[in-house]
Amino acid sequence: MTSPRLAVTVNGRPYFLDGVPGEERLLDTLRWRLGLKGTKEGCRTGGCGACTVLVGGASVLSCLTFSHEVDGEEVTTIEAVGADPIGRHVQEAFRSAGALQCGYCTPGFVMALTARLKVDGRAVPVEGLLEGLGENLCRCTGYAAIARAVAEAHRRVNE
Amino acid sequence: MPPFDLVTPRSVEEAIAALRAFPPDEVAVLAGGTDLLLDLEGERADPRAVVSLRKLPWRTLDWNLGALTVGSTLSLRALETDPELPNRLPALHDAVRAIGGIALRNRATVGGNLGRSAPASDLIPVLLVLDAEVDLVGPDGERRMSVDRFVLGSRRTALGRAELIRSIRIPEARPSAYLWQRVRPANDISQVAVAVAFSPAHRSWRVALGGVPPRPTRVPEAEAALAGARPSASALADAGARLARHEALVTDRRATDEYRRTVASVLFARAVRATIVREGGPG
Ligand SMILES: Cc1cc2nc3c(=O)[nH]c(=O)nc-3n(C[C@H](O)[C@H](O)[C@H](O)COP(=O)(O)OP(=O)(O)OC[C@H]3O[C@@H](n4cnc5c(N)ncnc54)[C@H](O)[C@@H]3O)c2cc1C
Ligand code: FES
Ligand code: FES
Repeated sequence: MTSPRLAVTVNGRPYFLDGVPGEERLLDTLRWRLGLKGTKEGCRTGGCGACTVLVGGASVLSCLTFSHEVDGEEVTTIEAVGADPIGRHVQEAFRSAGALQCGYCTPGFVMALTARLKVDGRAVPVEGLLEGLGENLCRCTGYAAIARAVAEAHRRVNE
Repeated sequence: MPPFDLVTPRSVEEAIAALRAFPPDEVAVLAGGTDLLLDLEGERADPRAVVSLRKLPWRTLDWNLGALTVGSTLSLRALETDPELPNRLPALHDAVRAIGGIALRNRATVGGNLGRSAPASDLIPVLLVLDAEVDLVGPDGERRMSVDRFVLGSRRTALGRAELIRSIRIPEARPSAYLWQRVRPANDISQVAVAVAFSPAHRSWRVALGGVPPRPTRVPEAEAALAGARPSASALADAGARLARHEALVTDRRATDEYRRTVASVLFARAVRATIVREGGPG
């Protein structure tokens, strides 16, 4: 059986992809088919959060998601998150707090935090935002700066 | 990952037919995929076809007739953010939030947690103490059974061929608590966990252990020792000692038996006290 055509909107642009096998993961479709290398592969087992993208506005681990499961959905990756006002605040907060060392984990943190602020609103306190990032790991362990970036993002979106 | 065809039926009938079209070990069911992907990657499953439940009308949540009914494909995040859950089923709220992180819970489902039937499942201990039931649908129609009978062991359930979990029914009006221990608080697996509930109607306690092989289990010895809505300090200590002697508290790669026994009795005492407070009285 040949795979059905996959219709998906990524970063506002519609794609119609033929020949995507059933076992292909969203992470691989984004990186290798669409060339969007901003989404990172850390563990490929759901354990690090580096591959986080938005599907219909909610954060999702793209390494644990088959591409055909997002057929008909809108996907947002780190490449386009800056086009969103809240995503822009989050990016600026990470930059001004110097919240990255090698930067490998950063797209995942930015996507997860952006989703949280967009879905659950501005009312979530900083501690709640930090707790919500519990599945994102930073191998360089720059967590103090990341926590400052989260507080800064919270301040910016509430301004 | 070995190749397979991903099939996306549009109705329950179509899904059952798709499952029946293959021998049982050549077809797998996909809900959120957060367990299945790892099983496929690790080649613990090697199906020719994977049947996605994405288009089935089972992402539902209903408070009705003294029970919460959750459709099997409801995401854990949708369950957790239901505004009624923290007050009406606090132990379930605590258990759902213990699972992975938000991005995982956005896709992982309630039915998938039961379908995987992991020894470290955070939902199963709570479903056991709340006397939850699963509604199944398959080629021979529908049937209902207790979670206790449904869960057989790791990756082993009472599901028949081409049968699906449609929903889970959880009686409410039962003060309850769920506490767990793990190495890292976030995105880790329980080493040991304790669920406790008091049934005012039966005036009896339910106690279950989680994080233990081969499956989370009720602990009738501890339940009997608690007896009554306000167990005395000595009854609580006795029940805790019985719980700590349970044979499921073994040594494996996650923890030693000694550690599990010690932590289980501490969590147990705390969970009973939390349940008494939730029931509305000072302990
Ligand atoms: C990083 C990480 C952390 C995790 N942490 C935890 C944790 O702390 N606690 C915990 O309990 N779990 C944890 N899990 C396990 C997993 O996320 C949960 O068990 C989840 O609820 C599974 O749901 P799913 O929809 O993703 O299941 P799937 O992977 O889609 O399915 C799991 C199994 O159930 C079967 N199945 C699914 N739905 C149905 C249905 N409706 N009818 C019949 N069979 C069905 C599938 O065929 C498969 O065998 C973790 C997983 C990961 C990757
Ligand atoms: S690569 Fe997806 S969680 Fe690590
Ligand atoms: S900055 Fe290197 S992994 Fe986080």
